[in-house]
Amino acid sequence: VETDTLREASDALLVVAIGRWRQDALAEAYRRHAGSVFSLARRLLGDGALAEEVVQEVFLRLWNTPDRFDPDRGSLRSYLLAQAHGRAVDLLRSETSRRLREERQVRETAEGGYDIEREVMDLNVAEHVQEAMAGLPLDERRAITLAYFGGHTYREVATLLDQPEGTVKSRIRTGLRRMRDSLTEAGIGGPWSES
Amino acid sequence: LSHREIQQLLGAYALDAVDDDERDAIELHLATCPRCRAEVMEDREVAAFLGHTGGPAPSGLWDRIAASLEEAPPPLALAPVTPMGAARRARWSRWALVATSAAAVVALALGLAVAVSSRSSHRDTLQEQAIEARDRSDARVADLRSAEGRLAAQAVLLPDGRGYLLQTDLPRLDRARTYQLWALVGNEAISAGVLGPDPKVATFTLHVPPSALGFAITDEVAGGVAQPQHKPLVSGRLRST
Repeated sequence: VETDTLREASDALLVVAIGRWRQDALAEAYRRHAGSVFSLARRLLGDGALAEEVVQEVFLRLWNTPDRFDPDRGSLRSYLLAQAHGRAVDLLRSETSRRLREERQVRETAEGGYDIEREVMDLNVAEHVQEAMAGLPLDERRAITLAYFGGHTYREVATLLDQPEGTVKSRIRTGLRRMRDSLTEAGIGGPWSES
Repeated sequence: LSHREIQQLLGAYALDAVDDDERDAIELHLATCPRCRAEVMEDREVAAFLGHTGGPAPSGLWDRIAASLEEAPPPLALAPVTPMGAARRARWSRWALVATSAAAVVALALGLAVAVSSRSSHRDTLQEQAIEARDRSDARVADLRSAEGRLAAQAVLLPDGRGYLLQTDLPRLDRARTYQLWALVGNEAISAGVLGPDPKVATFTLHVPPSALGFAITDEVAGGVAQPQHKPLVSGRLRST
């Protein structure tokens, strides 16, 4: 892969090039996805400096172990975001950041609705994602939001919402399926692979 | 956890919202259940849309990342070795082509004999040797992981070509099948030995140790094959210890 063709290369091809220690390929992956990775981490951690550390870790991990990304198992974007999410959740759950977490107003997160930064993301996609989220029953939306953006386990969500654990568990699962169906219906992410 | 209980947890798992012990149980299950894997994959894609809030990465961060790449350059320029996947499928078939023509050469160039021990006394000795080898400063070690990242074995390679496979944690195969270990040299997979259906500790010899970049394990018909017929179940790069 020549440097000037990297911009057109698929994400999967970029990762192959990263596996050959091509820094320019990592730079291109960063250009495409670092913004999303950063904003997700910041949303969870509420702290720009910590979020930057997460971004750095995620891309260094991609550099050091590119073979852990399998294009058959989803898009690079979802892989990187899942890595960032997992890392941010680890930080949130660690003892040292407990205080940080207590300061966050989780209930507000749950009830504040879904807010997306529209300026960069494709407006059409953003609209559909927002619609899909808004179309969920309130209980499912709350459970997903608290788990994903609040970094809570489903048990914690159950306590926060004062609902049985089993109920929360299945609401998360059902809600995600419902989201998937309505996004597919809107023609977004249909094959659930490359974006 | 039962299959049903695991299924119920998949959504929460995809959002990192399960406890550690539940996560471990789910990942163990995912290694063998394509249907649940597919569901998690779809959930992760949905989550990625939620998380895809865009916005630029903070300025200066890339420079820091790039600088740390230079500070600690990776030890080897290894082509990516990834279990499963369309891209890899192509590579395996390329390997197969190369390996067919090179099979005779390979048989001469490499020690294919592997001692896989089932007798526990021998195994203990082998285990000790393997750990001793792994602790040597000149040893190179590869963590062989599944696509889910589960550590399934460690391969140790010494500069003289002696190698060990240890901490093997692979499901027992039917007697008509065998695990086979492959050394990854460039884009080729070269057999490092037939491991049997239930490998624990194994030793092997590689005649081209410096050029080996990593190892992979496939599931093949009993007796082994000259070139891989299946995608790697687990793989990993060699790194210096």
